[in-house]
Amino acid sequence: MRVLAILFLILQTAAAAAQVRSVELRTPRSFGYVLGDLLQVRIDIALDPGSTVQRASLPKPGPVTYWLDLRDVAVERMAGGIRLRLTYQSFYAALDARRLEVPGFTVALASESPGGTTTAQAEIPPWSFGVSPLREVQPEKRDDPADYLQPDGRARRLDPQPAAMAALVLAGLGLLALGLLAYDRAWFGRRRGRPFALAARRLRRLAETDPDGYREALRLIHRGLDETDGRRLLADDLPAFLDRHPAFRPEGESLGRFFEASRRAFFGREVQAAREGWPWPELQAALRRLAAAERAA
Amino acid sequence: MRHLWGRVRPGLIATMPVLLLAAACASGLEAWRVARANGTIAALEAGTDAEVSPGAPPPVLAARVAFLAKRGRLDEAEPLLPGLEAGDDRADLARARYVLANARMRAAFGLLARGELDKAGPLVTLSRQDYRRALRERPDFWDAKFNLDVASRLIRDYPELNRTDGDELQSEPKKIWTDIPGQPRGGP
Repeated sequence: MRVLAILFLILQTAAAAAQVRSVELRTPRSFGYVLGDLLQVRIDIALDPGSTVQRASLPKPGPVTYWLDLRDVAVERMAGGIRLRLTYQSFYAALDARRLEVPGFTVALASESPGGTTTAQAEIPPWSFGVSPLREVQPEKRDDPADYLQPDGRARRLDPQPAAMAALVLAGLGLLALGLLAYDRAWFGRRRGRPFALAARRLRRLAETDPDGYREALRLIHRGLDETDGRRLLADDLPAFLDRHPAFRPEGESLGRFFEASRRAFFGREVQAAREGWPWPELQAALRRLAAAERAA
Repeated sequence: MRHLWGRVRPGLIATMPVLLLAAACASGLEAWRVARANGTIAALEAGTDAEVSPGAPPPVLAARVAFLAKRGRLDEAEPLLPGLEAGDDRADLARARYVLANARMRAAFGLLARGELDKAGPLVTLSRQDYRRALRERPDFWDAKFNLDVASRLIRDYPELNRTDGDELQSEPKKIWTDIPGQPRGGP
Protein backbone atom coordinates (compact mmCIF):
# COMPACT_ATOMS: atom_id res chain seq x y z
CA MET A 1 0.00 0.00 0.00
CA ARG A 2 2.76 2.39 0.96
CA VAL A 3 4.67 1.62 -2.23
CA LEU A 4 1.62 2.40 -4.27
CA ALA A 5 1.12 5.70 -2.51
CA ILE A 6 4.72 6.79 -3.10
CA LEU A 7 4.48 5.80 -6.74
CA PHE A 8 1.35 7.92 -7.05
CA LEU A 9 3.13 10.89 -5.56
CA ILE A 10 6.04 10.52 -7.95
CA LEU A 11 3.71 10.25 -10.90
CA GLN A 12 1.87 13.33 -9.77
CA THR A 13 4.98 15.47 -9.44
CA ALA A 14 6.20 14.16 -12.77
CA ALA A 15 2.89 15.12 -14.34
CA ALA A 16 2.95 18.55 -12.75
CA ALA A 17 6.50 19.22 -13.83
CA ALA A 18 5.69 18.16 -17.33
CA GLN A 19 2.93 20.72 -17.72
CA VAL A 20 5.23 23.65 -18.41
CA ARG A 21 7.71 22.93 -21.16
CA SER A 22 9.29 26.31 -21.72
CA VAL A 23 8.84 30.02 -21.05
CA GLU A 24 9.97 32.50 -23.66
CA LEU A 25 9.94 36.25 -23.12
CA ARG A 26 10.21 38.78 -25.93
CA THR A 27 10.18 42.54 -26.24
CA PRO A 28 10.39 44.54 -29.50
CA ARG A 29 13.58 46.15 -28.17
CA SER A 30 15.26 46.08 -24.79
CA PHE A 31 16.85 49.53 -24.75
CA GLY A 32 16.19 53.17 -25.53
CA TYR A 33 13.03 53.75 -23.54
CA VAL A 34 12.29 57.25 -22.24
CA LEU A 35 9.77 58.09 -19.57
CA GLY A 36 6.16 57.53 -20.57
CA ASP A 37 7.04 54.91 -23.19
CA LEU A 38 5.04 51.71 -23.45
CA LEU A 39 6.81 48.37 -23.18
CA GLN A 40 5.13 45.51 -24.98
CA VAL A 41 6.16 42.14 -23.62
CA ARG A 42 5.18 38.84 -25.18
CA ILE A 43 5.54 35.75 -23.04
CA ASP A 44 5.04 32.40 -24.73
CA ILE A 45 4.48 29.52 -22.30
CA ALA A 46 4.62 26.11 -23.93
CA LEU A 47 2.28 23.73 -22.12
CA ASP A 48 1.18 20.15 -22.25
CA PRO A 49 -2.16 19.70 -23.96
CA GLY A 50 -5.10 20.19 -21.61
CA SER A 51 -3.41 22.72 -19.35
CA THR A 52 -5.03 26.07 -18.77
CA VAL A 53 -3.83 29.20 -17.05
CA GLN A 54 -5.58 30.29 -13.87
CA ARG A 55 -6.55 33.84 -14.55
CA ALA A 56 -6.56 34.83 -10.90
CA SER A 57 -2.81 34.18 -10.77
CA LEU A 58 -2.02 36.69 -13.54
CA PRO A 59 -0.63 40.05 -12.47
CA LYS A 60 -3.25 42.77 -12.08
CA PRO A 61 -2.98 46.01 -14.07
CA GLY A 62 -1.75 48.78 -11.79
CA PRO A 63 1.49 50.13 -10.34
CA VAL A 64 4.33 47.59 -10.20
CA THR A 65 6.94 49.87 -8.68
CA TYR A 66 7.01 53.62 -8.28
CA TRP A 67 8.35 54.05 -11.81
CA LEU A 68 6.52 51.27 -13.60
CA ASP A 69 2.81 50.67 -14.30
CA LEU A 70 1.28 47.54 -15.73
CA ARG A 71 -1.43 48.77 -18.08
CA ASP A 72 -2.84 45.72 -19.73
CA VAL A 73 -2.73 41.90 -19.51
CA ALA A 74 -4.09 39.74 -22.29
CA VAL A 75 -4.05 35.96 -22.61
CA GLU A 76 -4.22 34.23 -25.99
CA ARG A 77 -4.41 30.55 -26.76
CA MET A 78 -1.92 29.33 -29.30
CA ALA A 79 -0.76 26.01 -30.61
CA GLY A 80 1.10 24.18 -27.85
CA GLY A 81 0.53 26.68 -25.06
CA ILE A 82 -0.55 30.17 -24.19
CA ARG A 83 0.74 33.64 -24.97
CA LEU A 84 0.63 36.49 -22.46
CA ARG A 85 0.75 40.02 -23.78
CA LEU A 86 1.73 42.51 -21.09
CA THR A 87 1.85 46.26 -21.64
CA TYR A 88 3.95 48.20 -19.15
CA GLN A 89 4.51 51.95 -19.02
CA SER A 90 7.79 53.25 -17.66
CA PHE A 91 7.93 56.56 -15.83
CA TYR A 92 11.60 56.44 -14.93
CA ALA A 93 13.10 59.91 -15.43
CA ALA A 94 16.62 58.82 -16.30
CA LEU A 95 19.66 61.08 -15.98
CA ASP A 96 21.84 58.59 -17.80
CA ALA A 97 21.27 55.46 -19.85
CA ARG A 98 20.87 52.52 -17.50
CA ARG A 99 19.19 49.17 -17.21
CA LEU A 100 16.21 48.59 -14.97
CA GLU A 101 14.90 45.26 -13.82
CA VAL A 102 11.24 44.35 -13.99
CA PRO A 103 10.31 41.77 -11.34
CA GLY A 104 9.16 38.34 -12.45
CA PHE A 105 6.02 36.58 -11.33
CA THR A 106 4.51 33.12 -11.25
CA VAL A 107 1.48 31.95 -13.16
CA ALA A 108 -0.61 29.08 -11.82
CA LEU A 109 -1.63 26.45 -14.33
CA ALA A 110 -4.30 23.80 -13.99
CA SER A 111 -4.73 20.60 -15.91
CA GLU A 112 -7.92 18.55 -15.90
CA SER A 113 -7.28 14.80 -15.94
CA PRO A 114 -9.54 11.84 -15.15
CA GLY A 115 -7.83 11.51 -11.78
CA GLY A 116 -8.61 15.10 -10.82
CA THR A 117 -7.10 18.55 -11.30
CA THR A 118 -3.36 18.96 -11.12
CA THR A 119 -1.78 22.36 -10.78
CA ALA A 120 1.65 23.66 -11.68
CA GLN A 121 3.51 26.96 -11.56
CA ALA A 122 5.18 28.68 -14.46
CA GLU A 123 7.97 30.98 -13.32
CA ILE A 124 8.25 34.13 -15.42
CA PRO A 125 11.82 35.31 -14.81
CA PRO A 126 12.72 38.92 -14.07
CA TRP A 127 13.79 40.83 -17.15
CA SER A 128 15.41 44.16 -17.79
CA PHE A 129 15.24 47.02 -20.26
CA GLY A 130 17.37 50.07 -20.93
CA VAL A 131 16.11 53.56 -20.17
CA SER A 132 17.58 56.66 -21.74
CA PRO A 133 17.48 60.30 -20.67
CA LEU A 134 15.13 62.60 -22.51
CA ARG A 135 17.01 65.86 -21.93
CA GLU A 136 20.55 66.98 -21.38
CA VAL A 137 21.69 66.85 -17.75
CA GLN A 138 22.54 70.54 -17.73
CA PRO A 139 20.18 72.51 -19.93
CA GLU A 140 21.03 75.91 -21.32
CA LYS A 141 20.64 78.67 -18.78
CA ARG A 142 17.30 80.48 -18.85
CA ASP A 143 16.29 83.60 -16.98
CA ASP A 144 12.77 82.49 -16.22
CA PRO A 145 12.74 78.91 -14.87
CA ALA A 146 9.27 78.42 -16.39
CA ASP A 147 10.96 78.55 -19.80
CA TYR A 148 12.40 75.12 -19.09
CA LEU A 149 8.89 73.77 -19.58
CA GLN A 150 7.30 73.01 -22.91
CA PRO A 151 4.46 75.47 -23.68
CA ASP A 152 0.79 74.69 -23.11
CA GLY A 153 0.06 74.22 -26.80
CA ARG A 154 -3.23 74.60 -28.60
CA ALA A 155 -6.44 72.77 -27.86
CA ARG A 156 -7.68 70.42 -30.51
CA ARG A 157 -10.22 71.84 -32.96
CA LEU A 158 -13.31 69.95 -34.02
CA ASP A 159 -13.80 69.22 -37.68
CA PRO A 160 -17.12 70.53 -39.02
CA GLN A 161 -16.41 69.10 -42.47
CA PRO A 162 -18.07 65.65 -42.10
CA ALA A 163 -21.31 67.03 -40.64
CA ALA A 164 -21.48 69.80 -43.25
CA MET A 165 -20.79 67.29 -46.01
CA ALA A 166 -23.49 64.96 -44.68
CA ALA A 167 -25.95 67.87 -44.50
CA LEU A 168 -25.24 68.81 -48.12
CA VAL A 169 -25.53 65.26 -49.40
CA LEU A 170 -28.72 64.64 -47.42
CA ALA A 171 -30.22 67.93 -48.58
CA GLY A 172 -29.40 67.01 -52.19
CA LEU A 173 -30.97 63.59 -51.78
CA GLY A 174 -33.97 65.16 -50.05
CA LEU A 175 -34.52 67.61 -52.90
CA LEU A 176 -34.17 64.75 -55.35
CA ALA A 177 -36.78 62.77 -53.43
CA LEU A 178 -38.99 65.86 -53.32
CA GLY A 179 -38.67 66.17 -57.10
CA LEU A 180 -39.59 62.52 -57.43
CA LEU A 181 -42.64 63.08 -55.24
CA ALA A 182 -43.66 66.14 -57.29
CA TYR A 183 -43.31 64.13 -60.48
CA ASP A 184 -45.15 61.20 -58.96
CA ARG A 185 -48.09 63.35 -57.86
CA ALA A 186 -47.96 65.46 -61.05
CA TRP A 187 -47.73 68.69 -59.04
CA PHE A 188 -46.34 70.68 -61.93
CA GLY A 189 -48.55 69.79 -64.86
CA ARG A 190 -49.35 66.47 -66.42
CA ARG A 191 -47.09 63.51 -66.43
CA ARG A 192 -47.29 60.66 -68.82
CA GLY A 193 -49.27 57.78 -67.57
CA ARG A 194 -51.04 59.72 -64.82
CA PRO A 195 -54.25 60.94 -66.48
CA PHE A 196 -56.41 60.44 -63.39
CA ALA A 197 -54.09 62.56 -61.26
CA LEU A 198 -54.45 65.30 -63.83
CA ALA A 199 -58.21 64.84 -63.93
CA ALA A 200 -58.41 65.01 -60.14
CA ARG A 201 -56.46 68.27 -60.21
CA ARG A 202 -58.75 69.75 -62.85
CA LEU A 203 -61.84 68.57 -60.99
CA ARG A 204 -60.82 70.70 -58.03
CA ARG A 205 -61.15 73.78 -60.21
CA LEU A 206 -64.65 72.90 -61.39
CA ALA A 207 -67.60 74.49 -59.58
CA GLU A 208 -69.99 71.98 -58.16
CA THR A 209 -73.02 74.22 -58.75
CA ASP A 210 -72.25 74.95 -62.39
CA PRO A 211 -74.67 72.88 -64.53
CA ASP A 212 -71.94 72.27 -67.08
CA GLY A 213 -69.58 71.32 -64.27
CA TYR A 214 -71.01 67.88 -63.85
CA ARG A 215 -70.79 67.08 -67.52
CA GLU A 216 -67.25 68.44 -67.61
CA ALA A 217 -66.36 66.23 -64.66
CA LEU A 218 -67.71 63.19 -66.44
CA ARG A 219 -65.74 64.20 -69.51
CA LEU A 220 -62.60 64.37 -67.39
CA ILE A 221 -63.09 60.80 -66.20
CA HIS A 222 -63.78 59.70 -69.77
CA ARG A 223 -60.55 61.27 -70.91
CA GLY A 224 -58.71 59.68 -68.01
CA LEU A 225 -60.02 56.25 -68.91
CA ASP A 226 -59.24 56.77 -72.60
CA GLU A 227 -55.71 57.82 -71.90
CA THR A 228 -55.13 55.05 -69.42
CA ASP A 229 -56.23 52.48 -71.92
CA GLY A 230 -54.81 54.19 -74.99
CA ARG A 231 -58.11 53.92 -76.84
CA ARG A 232 -61.65 55.21 -76.62
CA LEU A 233 -63.43 53.33 -73.88
CA LEU A 234 -67.17 52.66 -73.92
CA ALA A 235 -69.40 51.15 -71.27
CA ASP A 236 -69.28 47.71 -72.88
CA ASP A 237 -65.48 47.68 -72.78
CA LEU A 238 -65.38 47.99 -68.99
CA PRO A 239 -64.82 44.28 -68.11
CA ALA A 240 -62.05 44.04 -70.72
CA PHE A 241 -60.52 47.27 -69.36
CA LEU A 242 -60.50 45.88 -65.82
CA ASP A 243 -58.79 42.76 -67.11
CA ARG A 244 -56.11 44.81 -68.80
CA HIS A 245 -55.64 47.10 -65.76
CA PRO A 246 -56.17 45.00 -62.65
CA ALA A 247 -55.18 47.93 -60.40
CA PHE A 248 -58.57 49.50 -61.08
CA ARG A 249 -60.55 46.35 -60.34
CA PRO A 250 -61.69 47.59 -56.86
CA GLU A 251 -63.19 50.58 -58.65
CA GLY A 252 -65.24 48.40 -61.03
CA GLU A 253 -68.52 49.21 -59.28
CA SER A 254 -67.84 52.97 -59.27
CA LEU A 255 -66.91 52.84 -62.93
CA GLY A 256 -70.15 51.03 -63.70
CA ARG A 257 -72.09 53.83 -62.04
CA PHE A 258 -69.98 56.36 -63.88
CA PHE A 259 -70.88 54.88 -67.27
CA GLU A 260 -74.54 54.82 -66.22
CA ALA A 261 -74.40 58.51 -65.25
CA SER A 262 -72.49 59.34 -68.42
CA ARG A 263 -75.06 57.60 -70.59
CA ARG A 264 -77.86 59.56 -68.95
CA ALA A 265 -76.04 62.90 -69.05
CA PHE A 266 -74.75 62.78 -72.62
CA PHE A 267 -77.21 60.62 -74.51
CA GLY A 268 -80.38 61.00 -72.46
CA ARG A 269 -79.80 64.66 -71.72
CA GLU A 270 -80.88 63.99 -68.14
CA VAL A 271 -78.08 65.71 -66.28
CA GLN A 272 -80.17 66.18 -63.16
CA ALA A 273 -81.17 62.52 -63.04
CA ALA A 274 -77.61 61.48 -63.64
CA ARG A 275 -76.53 63.72 -60.84
CA GLU A 276 -79.04 62.17 -58.48
CA GLY A 277 -77.95 58.68 -59.48
CA TRP A 278 -74.25 59.42 -58.88
CA PRO A 279 -73.89 62.55 -56.73
CA TRP A 280 -70.97 64.97 -56.93
CA PRO A 281 -69.24 63.92 -53.65
CA GLU A 282 -69.23 60.30 -54.82
CA LEU A 283 -67.80 61.37 -58.15
CA GLN A 284 -65.06 63.30 -56.39
CA ALA A 285 -64.27 60.39 -54.09
CA ALA A 286 -64.23 57.94 -56.98
CA LEU A 287 -61.83 60.08 -58.98
CA ARG A 288 -59.54 60.42 -55.94
CA ARG A 289 -59.56 56.64 -55.54
CA LEU A 290 -58.85 56.19 -59.24
CA ALA A 291 -55.86 58.56 -58.96
CA ALA A 292 -54.62 56.60 -55.92
CA ALA A 293 -55.03 53.28 -57.72
CA GLU A 294 -53.15 54.76 -60.66
CA ARG A 295 -50.23 55.73 -58.37
CA ALA A 296 -50.11 52.27 -56.85
CA ALA A 297 -50.26 50.57 -60.27
CA MET B 1 -43.92 41.07 -54.87
CA ARG B 2 -45.04 43.57 -57.47
CA HIS B 3 -48.29 43.95 -55.63
CA LEU B 4 -46.49 44.67 -52.35
CA TRP B 5 -44.23 47.23 -54.05
CA GLY B 6 -47.32 48.89 -55.47
CA ARG B 7 -48.78 49.25 -52.00
CA VAL B 8 -45.56 50.43 -50.34
CA ARG B 9 -44.44 52.83 -53.07
CA PRO B 10 -46.80 55.79 -52.59
CA GLY B 11 -46.07 55.98 -48.86
CA LEU B 12 -42.36 55.57 -49.46
CA ILE B 13 -42.29 58.34 -52.06
CA ALA B 14 -44.15 60.66 -49.69
CA THR B 15 -42.00 59.97 -46.59
CA MET B 16 -38.55 59.87 -48.21
CA PRO B 17 -38.23 63.65 -48.81
CA VAL B 18 -39.47 64.38 -45.28
CA LEU B 19 -37.00 61.98 -43.68
CA LEU B 20 -34.06 63.03 -45.84
CA LEU B 21 -34.68 66.74 -45.34
CA ALA B 22 -35.08 66.23 -41.58
CA ALA B 23 -31.76 64.33 -41.49
CA ALA B 24 -30.16 67.12 -43.54
CA CYS B 25 -31.42 69.69 -41.03
CA ALA B 26 -30.02 67.62 -38.13
CA SER B 27 -26.61 67.36 -39.83
CA GLY B 28 -26.62 71.05 -40.62
CA LEU B 29 -27.40 71.83 -36.99
CA GLU B 30 -24.54 69.56 -35.90
CA ALA B 31 -22.14 71.30 -38.31
CA TRP B 32 -23.26 74.66 -36.96
CA ARG B 33 -22.69 73.52 -33.36
CA VAL B 34 -19.21 72.25 -34.25
CA ALA B 35 -18.36 75.55 -35.95
CA ARG B 36 -19.62 77.43 -32.89
CA ALA B 37 -17.54 75.21 -30.57
CA ASN B 38 -14.47 76.02 -32.67
CA GLY B 39 -15.34 79.70 -32.33
CA THR B 40 -15.47 79.33 -28.56
CA ILE B 41 -12.08 77.58 -28.53
CA ALA B 42 -10.56 80.34 -30.65
CA ALA B 43 -12.02 83.00 -28.34
CA LEU B 44 -10.65 81.24 -25.23
CA GLU B 45 -7.22 80.91 -26.79
CA ALA B 46 -7.30 84.56 -27.80
CA GLY B 47 -7.87 85.43 -24.15
CA THR B 48 -11.59 86.24 -24.09
CA ASP B 49 -13.44 84.35 -21.41
CA ALA B 50 -16.48 82.43 -22.62
CA GLU B 51 -19.00 80.61 -20.49
CA VAL B 52 -18.70 76.86 -21.00
CA SER B 53 -21.25 74.39 -19.71
CA PRO B 54 -20.00 71.10 -18.21
CA GLY B 55 -21.68 69.23 -21.08
CA ALA B 56 -19.76 71.08 -23.80
CA PRO B 57 -17.67 69.12 -26.36
CA PRO B 58 -14.34 67.88 -24.88
CA PRO B 59 -12.06 70.22 -26.90
CA VAL B 60 -14.06 73.22 -25.63
CA LEU B 61 -13.71 71.99 -22.05
CA ALA B 62 -9.97 71.48 -22.60
CA ALA B 63 -9.65 75.00 -24.02
CA ARG B 64 -11.52 76.44 -21.03
CA VAL B 65 -9.27 74.51 -18.61
CA ALA B 66 -6.26 75.92 -20.46
CA PHE B 67 -7.72 79.44 -20.24
CA LEU B 68 -8.30 79.15 -16.48
CA ALA B 69 -4.98 77.42 -15.83
CA LYS B 70 -3.08 80.14 -17.66
CA ARG B 71 -4.61 82.70 -15.29
CA GLY B 72 -3.96 80.61 -12.20
CA ARG B 73 -7.65 79.93 -11.56
CA LEU B 74 -7.05 76.25 -10.85
CA ASP B 75 -9.99 75.95 -8.44
CA GLU B 76 -12.36 76.76 -11.29
CA ALA B 77 -10.60 74.47 -13.75
CA GLU B 78 -10.67 71.31 -11.63
CA PRO B 79 -14.49 70.83 -11.73
CA LEU B 80 -14.34 70.64 -15.55
CA LEU B 81 -12.19 67.51 -15.53
CA PRO B 82 -14.99 65.01 -14.73
CA GLY B 83 -16.77 66.15 -17.90
CA LEU B 84 -13.63 65.32 -19.86
CA GLU B 85 -13.16 61.99 -18.14
CA ALA B 86 -16.64 60.93 -19.23
CA GLY B 87 -15.78 61.51 -22.90
CA ASP B 88 -14.32 58.96 -25.27
CA ASP B 89 -11.53 61.11 -26.56
CA ARG B 90 -8.66 60.79 -24.10
CA ALA B 91 -6.44 63.27 -25.95
CA ASP B 92 -8.46 66.23 -24.66
CA LEU B 93 -8.31 64.90 -21.10
CA ALA B 94 -4.53 64.46 -21.46
CA ARG B 95 -4.23 68.03 -22.78
CA ALA B 96 -6.28 69.42 -19.86
CA ARG B 97 -4.19 67.56 -17.27
CA TYR B 98 -1.02 68.72 -18.99
CA VAL B 99 -1.96 72.42 -18.90
CA LEU B 100 -3.04 72.10 -15.25
CA ALA B 101 0.31 70.54 -14.40
CA ASN B 102 2.11 73.30 -16.32
CA ALA B 103 0.21 75.94 -14.34
CA ARG B 104 1.23 74.28 -11.05
CA MET B 105 4.82 74.04 -12.22
CA ARG B 106 4.92 77.75 -13.04
CA ALA B 107 3.46 78.51 -9.61
CA ALA B 108 6.09 76.23 -8.03
CA PHE B 109 8.89 78.01 -9.91
CA GLY B 110 7.56 81.30 -8.57
CA LEU B 111 7.61 79.98 -5.02
CA LEU B 112 11.08 78.49 -5.44
CA ALA B 113 12.39 81.80 -6.72
CA ARG B 114 11.14 83.37 -3.50
CA GLY B 115 12.68 80.57 -1.47
CA GLU B 116 9.39 79.09 -0.26
CA LEU B 117 10.47 75.49 -0.70
CA ASP B 118 7.88 73.95 1.61
CA LYS B 119 5.01 75.32 -0.43
CA ALA B 120 6.59 74.47 -3.78
CA GLY B 121 7.09 70.77 -2.98
CA PRO B 122 3.43 69.70 -2.99
CA LEU B 123 2.79 71.68 -6.17
CA VAL B 124 5.58 69.87 -8.00
CA THR B 125 4.29 66.54 -6.73
CA LEU B 126 0.77 67.35 -7.97
CA SER B 127 2.20 68.38 -11.31
CA ARG B 128 4.05 65.12 -11.64
CA GLN B 129 0.86 63.20 -10.91
CA ASP B 130 -0.98 65.15 -13.59
CA TYR B 131 1.79 64.71 -16.17
CA ARG B 132 1.76 61.03 -15.38
CA ARG B 133 -2.00 60.82 -15.75
CA ALA B 134 -1.76 62.71 -19.05
CA LEU B 135 0.82 60.20 -20.27
CA ARG B 136 -1.36 57.34 -19.15
CA GLU B 137 -4.13 58.70 -21.38
CA ARG B 138 -1.76 59.46 -24.26
CA PRO B 139 1.61 57.67 -24.07
CA ASP B 140 2.97 59.56 -27.10
CA PHE B 141 2.40 63.01 -25.55
CA TRP B 142 5.98 64.26 -25.94
CA ASP B 143 5.48 67.66 -24.33
CA ALA B 144 4.16 65.91 -21.23
CA LYS B 145 7.16 63.57 -21.22
CA PHE B 146 9.50 66.51 -21.40
CA ASN B 147 7.81 68.46 -18.63
CA LEU B 148 7.50 65.37 -16.43
CA ASP B 149 11.25 65.02 -16.82
CA VAL B 150 11.71 68.65 -15.71
CA ALA B 151 9.40 68.11 -12.71
CA SER B 152 11.09 64.81 -11.83
CA ARG B 153 14.46 66.48 -11.63
CA LEU B 154 13.08 68.97 -9.14
CA ILE B 155 11.83 66.24 -6.86
CA ARG B 156 13.09 62.74 -7.42
CA ASP B 157 11.68 59.48 -6.18
CA TYR B 158 13.99 57.57 -3.94
CA PRO B 159 13.82 53.82 -4.15
CA GLU B 160 15.26 53.54 -0.65
CA LEU B 161 12.09 55.08 0.73
CA ASN B 162 10.69 51.66 -0.03
CA ARG B 163 7.91 52.92 -2.15
CA THR B 164 6.05 50.27 -4.02
CA ASP B 165 3.43 52.42 -5.66
CA GLY B 166 3.34 55.12 -8.26
CA ASP B 167 2.48 58.75 -7.81
CA GLU B 168 -1.18 57.90 -7.51
CA LEU B 169 -0.97 57.24 -3.78
CA GLN B 170 0.09 59.63 -1.08
CA SER B 171 3.39 61.37 -1.36
CA GLU B 172 6.18 61.21 1.17
CA PRO B 173 8.23 64.24 2.12
CA LYS B 174 10.44 65.04 -0.81
CA LYS B 175 13.78 66.61 -1.09
CA ILE B 176 14.08 69.68 -3.22
CA TRP B 177 17.29 70.82 -4.76
CA THR B 178 17.60 74.46 -4.08
CA ASP B 179 19.78 75.30 -7.02
CA ILE B 180 17.24 74.35 -9.64
CA PRO B 181 17.45 74.17 -12.47
CA GLY B 182 21.05 73.27 -12.63
CA GLN B 183 23.32 70.40 -11.98
CA PRO B 184 21.50 68.12 -9.57
CA ARG B 185 23.47 67.10 -6.55
CA GLY B 186 23.11 63.49 -5.52
CA GLY B 187 20.08 61.58 -6.57
CA PRO B 188 19.93 58.00 -7.65
